[in-house]
Amino acid sequence: MEINLNRVDYIQVGVTSQKTMRLLPALGKKTTQKVAVADNDGILTCFGMKKSEAVPVFKTLPGQKISRMDLGGAAGTPQEKIFVCSGSQVRGFTKKGKQFLTFDANLTESINAMHVSGADLFVCASYIYNHYCDCKDQDYFLSGDKINDIVCLSSENLSRPVPVLACQDRVLRVLQGSELAYEVEVPGPPSVLERYNKDGGEDILYGTTDGKIGLIHIGEGSAATKWEIDNDKKKGGILCLDAYDITGDGVRDVLVGRDDGTVTVYSFDSGNEPALRFELALSESVTSIQGGCVGKESYDEILTATYTGWVTGLTTEPQKAEVGAGDEVRMSKEVQSKPIFHRRAELEQLQVKVQLGREQYQQTSLSKTAVSVVPAFSINDKFTLCQDDASYSLTLEVQTAIDNLLLQSDVPIDLLDVDNNSAVVSFSECDSEPNGNFLLATYRCQANTTRLELKVRSIEGQYGTLQAYVTHRLQPKTCQVRQYHIKPLSLHQRTHSIDQDRPMNRLSLVGQFSFAEIHSWVVFCLPEVPEKTPAGESVTFYFLNTFLGTQLHATYSKGEGHFKSDNISTISILSDVLSKEATKRKINLNISYDINDDSVSHTLKMIHPKLEYQLVLARKVQLIDALKELELHEGNADFLIAEYRSILDESASLLEEYKRQPAHLERLYGMITDLFIDKFKFKGQNVKARVSSLLEILDGYDLNSLLDFFREA
Amino acid sequence: MLVPIFTLKLNHKINPRMVTVGTFDGVHPCLTAATQAGKVFIHNPHTRGQKPASHRLSQSAQDSDVSLLNINQAVTCLTAGSLGTKTAGDTLLVGSQTNLLAYDVHDNTDIFYKEVSDGANAIVLGKLGDIPNPLAIIGGNCALQGFDSLGNDLFWTVTGDNVRSLVLCDFTGDGKNELLVGSEDFDIRVFKEDELVSEMTENETVTALCHMHSSRFGYALANGTVGVYDRNSRYWRIKSKNHAMSIHAFDLNADGVVELITGWSNGKIDARSDRTGEVIFRDNFSSSVAGVVEGDYRLDGQKQLICASVEGEVRGYLPAEKELKGNLMDSNAEQDLIRELSHRRQNLLLELRNYEENAKGGSDSAGGIPANTQLQTALTVRAATEAQKAHVELSITTPNETIIRAVLIFAEGIFQGESHVVHPSVQNLSGFVRVPIIPPKDIPVDLHIKAFVGGKTSTQFHVFEITRQLPRFSMYDIAVEPSAPAPTGRVTFTINDRPQRVAMWLNQNFLLPEGVDSPDVTFTSLRGGGLLSIRMASNGQVDEFHAVHQRLTAEMAEHSNFIKSMLVQAEDARLMGDMTSMKKRYRELYDLNRDLVSEYKIRSNNHNALLACLKSVNQAIQRAGRLRVGKPKNQVISACRDAIKSNNVSALFRVMRAGVAAS
Repeated sequence: MEINLNRVDYIQVGVTSQKTMRLLPALGKKTTQKVAVADNDGILTCFGMKKSEAVPVFKTLPGQKISRMDLGGAAGTPQEKIFVCSGSQVRGFTKKGKQFLTFDANLTESINAMHVSGADLFVCASYIYNHYCDCKDQDYFLSGDKINDIVCLSSENLSRPVPVLACQDRVLRVLQGSELAYEVEVPGPPSVLERYNKDGGEDILYGTTDGKIGLIHIGEGSAATKWEIDNDKKKGGILCLDAYDITGDGVRDVLVGRDDGTVTVYSFDSGNEPALRFELALSESVTSIQGGCVGKESYDEILTATYTGWVTGLTTEPQKAEVGAGDEVRMSKEVQSKPIFHRRAELEQLQVKVQLGREQYQQTSLSKTAVSVVPAFSINDKFTLCQDDASYSLTLEVQTAIDNLLLQSDVPIDLLDVDNNSAVVSFSECDSEPNGNFLLATYRCQANTTRLELKVRSIEGQYGTLQAYVTHRLQPKTCQVRQYHIKPLSLHQRTHSIDQDRPMNRLSLVGQFSFAEIHSWVVFCLPEVPEKTPAGESVTFYFLNTFLGTQLHATYSKGEGHFKSDNISTISILSDVLSKEATKRKINLNISYDINDDSVSHTLKMIHPKLEYQLVLARKVQLIDALKELELHEGNADFLIAEYRSILDESASLLEEYKRQPAHLERLYGMITDLFIDKFKFKGQNVKARVSSLLEILDGYDLNSLLDFFREA
Repeated sequence: MLVPIFTLKLNHKINPRMVTVGTFDGVHPCLTAATQAGKVFIHNPHTRGQKPASHRLSQSAQDSDVSLLNINQAVTCLTAGSLGTKTAGDTLLVGSQTNLLAYDVHDNTDIFYKEVSDGANAIVLGKLGDIPNPLAIIGGNCALQGFDSLGNDLFWTVTGDNVRSLVLCDFTGDGKNELLVGSEDFDIRVFKEDELVSEMTENETVTALCHMHSSRFGYALANGTVGVYDRNSRYWRIKSKNHAMSIHAFDLNADGVVELITGWSNGKIDARSDRTGEVIFRDNFSSSVAGVVEGDYRLDGQKQLICASVEGEVRGYLPAEKELKGNLMDSNAEQDLIRELSHRRQNLLLELRNYEENAKGGSDSAGGIPANTQLQTALTVRAATEAQKAHVELSITTPNETIIRAVLIFAEGIFQGESHVVHPSVQNLSGFVRVPIIPPKDIPVDLHIKAFVGGKTSTQFHVFEITRQLPRFSMYDIAVEPSAPAPTGRVTFTINDRPQRVAMWLNQNFLLPEGVDSPDVTFTSLRGGGLLSIRMASNGQVDEFHAVHQRLTAEMAEHSNFIKSMLVQAEDARLMGDMTSMKKRYRELYDLNRDLVSEYKIRSNNHNALLACLKSVNQAIQRAGRLRVGKPKNQVISACRDAIKSNNVSALFRVMRAGVAAS
């Protein structure tokens, strides 16, 4: 059963950060709630709805960007005090807008996550966690990777409040005082945490940057996962979550806001399994979401805030136009046209002001000394590896309409078409010689595009920088560059554990380098490694190749580093890049290899099922058209053998699958060729001349002949 | 919100652009489309299973409402309509690369079956000019041919390139239809019978045309552009990253004016207002749209818009009811208006903030440039050197120490895509950028230049937007080698203008570094290397010489050879008949099959070569025609046609040279 929600836009504020909009608690039953929303201009706005018009309660003066908001209050009273953090400062406001607290956390970095509970204040700034009670320092913790969010649980079953940190390295860290109690592994880098029950309880919801959500029961010594929802439909990453009973069946539903603008609602049937009940695509990323009642009393709604500052309600109240009867519609028109009239008048005034500004700007261009500086516009960008198809997805979001985007890359990469990207792409000729361009592409956007999504496919071993020049439509026109590093082992992903039984190749480095230096080299080579040098003497990371499934084990400390992988190409790339980096800093490296010949056939066997599957798929797809023609000719398909009949039956899904993984086979061939070259590189042989015979073998693929070829050559 | 009134799932694929609706028995409309394996299917849900299978027609085994028509050749176009025969129903016309078939579905008979050597890429049916009978006009390789109901070709002319789309409409407003031809050389040409009356240059292959109302028509290009023309002037156009598969005019919002309905390659259907191009309705198919047509498919007296996808999904839409007030989308107009106003307010506020911050002088000078920075642009012609081909050079300079990070040029028809980017590496950054441009055709082009200007290390740049026009004849260099031989061919014409005016025209249409005062000039063509010299006598006579190479004789001789060899091969293929024992038969069959395949390959190569030759012959005729104006032009073309018909090569040359069919 689907629920029906109608969209109503309330107001627009400035650009908002993640989790910066909350509903204030209702004063009594059956009344509407007030909304507090804070933006990047530093303005905290609190408004309520009266006769479908937004009436501001208060509005603070502009200041530093507000990065988080939370509600608090003394235990046992309504949680209606508003806390916002900007920079390293936390401010508190009453619901009337009176500032009662200014607290400087004395952190060098700005706060990016905050939680308030009674007199306790928990703040996090990239790697640091701090707990204050009544503004006095209590606990401190340094996390191994970036902290994305924090919540604190308290309930009767817990002897003390339990803070939980969502860290970029795919774990939730549960703290006890200043110490780590235990870690909970989650399937992706967690971006947001929310209590399932705000009144207490030990369940927390988490959402990951790759679009998965789950519910975890946190105990004092251990945790248990209750359910997980995978991101099958490849929707965007999770930015905000809330638990609210919007369906009215007595069980809390999970409201989800994603960075591709999707709002989804999951509810729980009798089986306690989450089921999708509602989905809507807003055009920009949803930064905050909460269930409540804002527009009209006794109609529940989902309130969302989006990146460009729209506060939008998805209400259960039926839309007036659908009521139908003539009189009523006219009345609602009158009510509605008043705000339109106001807005028009305001617009006209603004237009005059802007015209004045334009003229003044024109005049400065005559002066010889004046400098034209246009303030930077805010870009919300994300460059992430998608596990399923081993490609990178780049999303760019700007607060105003994008005019065009120029992509430039100094490494060979492929740009893939994305369905929900309506911009007209055009590839320009590249002269790689003098200017080092391997890709020059422009995206000319349709009107009102504020969000662009692209997919990029990289090749391991080829590294460099991808640059995006974003031009907006505002006057005076400016463009901003964003740089993204394509790392040498770009298709690797952090993982929690690896299979130790595989035949491994080893690369060992010994030399006069510090821990920080070797860490910076690893950061340079591999994605998802924290930039900060880890605490302690040595560190171990595990990685998984998202395309082939091979693994990498990296352990290093001051003066030495060990890398183990079952894929010989990975070791080859690492040794090339590391020695190059070391030479750059004039550090003498002693590199030793321990090559395990079994690993090559092991890797080939790992590739085998993928390759075979792709070959069969390609062959089947090739046959579809011919078989269809035969079917048409003969009138039916009964005369065909079962295999062909099944191809015909499954043709739609086969075609779809084939379309979904373009050039998959070519990529596999490329990796096998690399494997072949690398295997003999370590033996000191150059076998580039024999690649053509390898390709011949691949054309008539058979695992054994391939293994033989690798052995004999 | 408008929803389909019927949805059909036909179990047949539909070839793109080959969909039509015909009332073959005079009453019941049937959706007719080309499908795989050289077949045409006719969907007739109204008279279920009455017809016996015979001749070409057979009942589909998968669907009782569908009958299949065997053409045995890949279908390239089809249409249905009245050819003016005595029967009540419509005639189905099916074109292939070599033939045109007119077929009476109701009586199950061929009306005529004609060989067309130029192929049939597009077909249109209707009355043209003063010709009394409706014609089936097909467009092939550079040629247009019109047949009446008896199969006589009453109309023949040539055009610039392969024809891809045709439509009949009253372009001139004289009450008679003109023929609009879209071709692969990016032109839309208008023929009043065989006289070319107008020509519009687009920037990609014109894949579809449709008549809207009076002199207004819609068009679609291969690069994803759709738009509307009124006579010679373009009303609007939009470009999408998808390709428009089919366009059709239909009044979907019932306001009395037709909208342009476009079916896209990603399965989207949209209806756009003919005046503004604003989308008033859209819907989605799961696969590419194959065709958009209209017909009274429910037999209730109302026309429906019928859209078909390549997978055989068909949807019909009725024009909107009055209550919807033209609001066909699932949206709340008021909410949209509020949103729109808010949007504008936000944009204005942001712009205002830009000026305010700028007035403050800017705290951090990231990306600050001197306010008086202005970009200089210049266009110059560069002759070919060892390293580079001949090109037009666009140079962009900043007057101060600022650098140009990148230059984007958006222009149509002169780059591979729609844009060209120059992005120097960090070491090569400077305030001076050169962009070589090689326009492939002599057309004026607007260059929309966007230059990113800033400091060497800035991450934010000012975007300078400049529009420069590349003149029509930019690929001609005034510098001439003195030793070059003077061109031999020439055109003489009289214009009633002063030499100064001609010199002005020259200055506007050629890239001349100094400009010229007199119209006596000579240019080198940077494309072919030939000379172009223009001379004007004071009495207003201008001579234009242009060296044109024609290699017709050799090609004409080749033609006959090809035709001969094709005949021999066809003879060979007939040997397939006699076989005796089972085993032997299989072996022979195998051999024959292999031979056939290789022969087919040879033949298809021959055919392609033949087509290319025919195309160049047709183009040569067209060029010969273009050297004359008005009546002599038509005379040349028809005389050429006669010469080809009688296979008289020398006569053809004479016609081209002298302009008249010699006695």
